[in-house]
Amino acid sequence: MKLFKGSSLMVLLLAFVVVLSACGNSADSGKSSDSSNADVKITLLNSKGEIQTQLEDAAKAFHEDNPGITVEIQAVPTGGSPFERASALYASGNPPTMIMMDTGDVEKFKDRVLDLSEEKWNGDAVVNATDLTTFDGKNYAFPLAIEGYGFIYNKAVVDKAVGGSFDPSTINTTEALEGLFKQIEASGKKALVVSPMDWSLGAHYLPLAYAGQNKDMAEVNKFVDALRAGTASIADNKVFNGLMDTFDVMMKYNIDKASALSSTYERGPELLGKGEVGIWFMGNWSWPQISSFDTANGEYGFLPVPISNNAADYGNQEISSAVSKRLVLDKEKATPEQQAAAKKFLDWIVYQDKGQDFLVNKANIIPAFKNITIPAADPLGKSIQDYISRGKSEQSMSALPADHWSILGASMQKYLAQSGDRALLAKEIEEYWKTAK
Amino acid sequence: MITEKGVWNRLRLRLLFTGPTLFTFITVMIIPFLYGIYLTFTNWDGISTTQTMVGFQNYGAVFRDADFWKSFGLTLKYVLFTVVFTNVLAFLLAYVLTKGIKGQSFFRAGFFLPNLVGGIVLGFIWQFIFNNVLVYIGQQAGIGIFSASWLADPDKAFWTLVIVTVWQYAGYMMVIYVAGLSGVPGDVLEAASIDGASGWLKMVKMTIPLMIPSFIVCIFLSLQRGFMVYDVNLSLTKGGPFKSTEFVSMHVYQKAFLSRDYGVGQAEALVLFLLVAAITLLQVYFSKKLEVEA
Repeated sequence: MKLFKGSSLMVLLLAFVVVLSACGNSADSGKSSDSSNADVKITLLNSKGEIQTQLEDAAKAFHEDNPGITVEIQAVPTGGSPFERASALYASGNPPTMIMMDTGDVEKFKDRVLDLSEEKWNGDAVVNATDLTTFDGKNYAFPLAIEGYGFIYNKAVVDKAVGGSFDPSTINTTEALEGLFKQIEASGKKALVVSPMDWSLGAHYLPLAYAGQNKDMAEVNKFVDALRAGTASIADNKVFNGLMDTFDVMMKYNIDKASALSSTYERGPELLGKGEVGIWFMGNWSWPQISSFDTANGEYGFLPVPISNNAADYGNQEISSAVSKRLVLDKEKATPEQQAAAKKFLDWIVYQDKGQDFLVNKANIIPAFKNITIPAADPLGKSIQDYISRGKSEQSMSALPADHWSILGASMQKYLAQSGDRALLAKEIEEYWKTAK
Repeated sequence: MITEKGVWNRLRLRLLFTGPTLFTFITVMIIPFLYGIYLTFTNWDGISTTQTMVGFQNYGAVFRDADFWKSFGLTLKYVLFTVVFTNVLAFLLAYVLTKGIKGQSFFRAGFFLPNLVGGIVLGFIWQFIFNNVLVYIGQQAGIGIFSASWLADPDKAFWTLVIVTVWQYAGYMMVIYVAGLSGVPGDVLEAASIDGASGWLKMVKMTIPLMIPSFIVCIFLSLQRGFMVYDVNLSLTKGGPFKSTEFVSMHVYQKAFLSRDYGVGQAEALVLFLLVAAITLLQVYFSKKLEVEA
């Protein structure tokens, strides 16, 4: 007992030392191994789940070209948002070297990420690619991918419906769209499938009502500001009502009309690919899933979402597209070697054959760089590139408030399930904007 | 019993045993909690390097956030149904499975099993059942109530959450009730039988009063779990359809991390903490008064 008494303080101290040193070690181990070795290890947080394996392969290819650099690809858990994951990793003091983010998130992180204005690729980026990530004249993000969305059609189905080769340019009014739906139904197939996910309805469909206001983005921003101030009305807005008229038509011909909300994302590519429906409202990112059911020999394309019955109105011939995913480089925990390695990785994507091959052919991404001349690898990417090159592209709303898709997506679901009418939807949109951040 | 002489000696010995736990408790519970309270007075968005003090503005926002109170009301309704159904079912199961029927250990293990499955996995399994299996059966057999997915209808989606929760927790509570039932002294019941008490009378007048401690624990646990539910809510309905089944934990999380309103989210979390603490403390306080000695 005496021995115990004397030694108890020491045991106690020892216990604390063990606990504390354990903490200290784990925090330091990452760095010490980096500086002691010539090899640099960098990490990339991937928020495009569908290209996880392609990115891992690209990391291997990059490692072959640059044996000193290892890139580890981390994934954002399915359904999680890149912002949530990245802020959690920052809070734990363990941020990845590179983070793939949505456009609207970049501003929040600008104090913590590197200024990339001096990088060579800035000069080769397509028009407007870095506008939304430039603050005080400094660009903070690498534009990784252009994505676009609209009505995807299965050419085999619509060819049969119109009795000949289908010409997408004939669909430029709501009436023409309904006519096509009728023709498809008459040919014995279902017209379309409406996927009821809140992100699809809230982040893609509804924002067409804002973006379609004017060809000039500055005017669109003014409209959004007026919504925030409560001075603009959505209820009697022409574009909004036209867009919702089209939505009414979509609801009427929806294959899942009986229980509109029980459909899932996975159902869309299956029905479209197998040719059970002719049309699906979605974007080019869904190509890998469609191709696994493909029965139309890879012939698919986009139709615009019409907002009126006047073919000349802006939006009736345009496809919504924008740079959607960005890469930012951490400046807080990443060492100068890691930062240099990460910059090298970005250059590799833009300027090396293997990098370009990964981007366009492997990951099916539409690049945001003029110097990459490889044509898109898949029919949906090709279709979007075609619209862009003909000047028929409408800038997507990629910097909406973070909870827009969730809150107004729910309002759209309510409309889709016919639990609320258009007046309620308009009221909820106006209410949302008054309190939106 | 600490018998050491002198304040320093006593403190030293206390620290030897409680020190490590105390250290962990303070660093991972108390400090984050206090820091959280501090954050309720700022307008932090969760990531920026600067934060401004905004006083009690966030608390004002909590009381103006109609969706928060709506989701709190919905959570209360959910808690009411899950607490009642879980405990009634758990007690019945425990009663039947202490009668000495054949294979009762096997049944006990079977009913306990859902607890071993994590909430997220469980949510996905039931999502598949409600979205596909039941709909398929409903359509093939022409059972109207199952022919469309329950998860697409606000009311039915709420009941799926109640059903899955009761199914998950009833087995766990059953184990506690089994222990409580076995603890009821046989001689008391025997004496009651000799005095001519029927089975029902014995149950109401003897067994249940003697099992009050089990009820306190079970109701406390199911209350607390009901209020804090998140995993099943997330994986089964994601708060849908159109946010009609968004319980309060999910709302707080979305406020903080989705709307990037960390200060308000944190303030809502604190308000929720105070409300739940008050409700559970009251429950324990009042049910303690019902305790009797054999």
